[in-house]
Amino acid sequence: MRLELGKIKIADVQFSEETKVENGTLYVNKQEIIDLVMEDDHIVKCVVELARPGESVRITPVKDVIEPRVKVEGPGGIFPGMINKVTTVGEGRTHTLNGAAVVTCGKIVGFQEGIIDMSGPGAELTPFSKLNNVCVVVEPKEGIEQHTYEKAARMAGLKVATYLGKAAIDVEPDEIVAYETKPLLEQVAEYPDLPKVGYVYMLQTQGLLHDTYVYGVDAKKIIPTVLYPTEIMDGAVLSGNCVSACDKNTSYHHLNNPIIEELYKKHGKEINFIGVIATNENVYLADKERSSNWSAKFAKYLGLDAVIISQEGFGNPDTDLIMNCKKIENEGVKTVIVTDEYAGRDGASQSLADADPKADAVVTGGNANEVIVLPPMDKVIGMLDYADKIAGGFDGSLRPDGSIEAEIQVITGATNELGFNKYSATTY
Amino acid sequence: MMILITNNQRVAETFGDNIDLHFMPEKTYQEILLYARDRIHEGYKLLSHPLSGSVKPNETPFKSILISEKQQTLDYDSLVIIEDSLATVRKFNNNKITPKWTESILDDFRVIDLSLIKGAIEGNQ
Repeated sequence: MRLELGKIKIADVQFSEETKVENGTLYVNKQEIIDLVMEDDHIVKCVVELARPGESVRITPVKDVIEPRVKVEGPGGIFPGMINKVTTVGEGRTHTLNGAAVVTCGKIVGFQEGIIDMSGPGAELTPFSKLNNVCVVVEPKEGIEQHTYEKAARMAGLKVATYLGKAAIDVEPDEIVAYETKPLLEQVAEYPDLPKVGYVYMLQTQGLLHDTYVYGVDAKKIIPTVLYPTEIMDGAVLSGNCVSACDKNTSYHHLNNPIIEELYKKHGKEINFIGVIATNENVYLADKERSSNWSAKFAKYLGLDAVIISQEGFGNPDTDLIMNCKKIENEGVKTVIVTDEYAGRDGASQSLADADPKADAVVTGGNANEVIVLPPMDKVIGMLDYADKIAGGFDGSLRPDGSIEAEIQVITGATNELGFNKYSATTY
Repeated sequence: MMILITNNQRVAETFGDNIDLHFMPEKTYQEILLYARDRIHEGYKLLSHPLSGSVKPNETPFKSILISEKQQTLDYDSLVIIEDSLATVRKFNNNKITPKWTESILDDFRVIDLSLIKGAIEGNQ
């Protein structure tokens, strides 16, 4: 499967009469976005605002971030199973508005988190401060239950990203990057002397605001499966919004997974990148046993020499992570695990809720308990009154001057477990 | 029959028929885990992960845990998981205690906890 990603670099975003891309600027028709979102009668109000890098703007509570994309060649459409049919994607050419994103905001539950600061110290901790963001704040009809609101907000974001992506169809990309993974036996034969490496992609799948979708299927209901990496670039894996902002993968993270990107960079040179094993992180322990058995079975079945395993979320996924690590190592396949830490504010406490001697190659996305003071911003997109009730915040965390003292777990993507962030730790 | 240990009213109201319900609204998050830990010592087996969900143990007051019927022997894996989970809960509580939330936020926490345990019960009953 071969996919060309045509990257159209976006350096600015502006409101306009017409939605289009011109000379690196994304022009957005605000009313068309509002009309699109308001098609869902669960939503009573939609506010669209823009946020650019360096501005004194705070966006909260962030529920998802999505890169606008469009398929221009090859089967299927972007976001299969959600926006388009379930046709297998990952082939042909896809255009991306590189440097732009749709950010959805909404108070799905009262305790909220998910902050993107576009400038200041908080901006350093989230990759989304570097993007030209089209923020879509959705308010639900009174009385609808949280699951319904979650779905409405999720679909609103995907619809807007699809709408904006269409502006990229006829634009000549600034850069075209090709990615290719062949069917298993061909791929193995192509680089017979290189180590065969796979990627075990753990997806958070536990319930409301803890879910992930694969081709539109709630991934808690799947058994582990194999994907071509390029399928993920076309939106085969999408976020079901979040309550834990720092280490829940947004849809943007899935589309731009840096582990997949790095494995492709080394593909054919240092390693033979064979493919992705997508697995889940369920609450029920027998599900954890079954899924880790299957990820280990696939690692062996695919003849892998090594895998990277990335975790998503806090707490019980530590158990899935260690189960995957142990069982895959027991099949004779080397593992590197990618996680983050809750090591207390001083960083001195035990980082994970589970551990094993076989987990001896670990990459961390940082300590989510670290405290930060976010200075006041001139403008807030969304609802700041919820920011004192965020995970990692505490009573009085929202100060009268508008500054926030909180743990970095309130910041969207701050300790992302795909490594799409700046924090880590090194052993000397 | 599975045993459902919870301090969450919404969970107690939703399940209770076809399940052995141990509803203890007065217990804290940590006390629910301690209650489960004591049952594990008596031979019950853990069926759901005590740290279900990304909402932190010092953030939500609500917790629901599934355990099996009583077995003949101690399940060591269950004991390791519950003790590791308790260590995590103590770590978070030492960092900061759970805030006093408004009733509407408490109810959102009940909804999240219900959603987490619902997937486990309905997929496996």
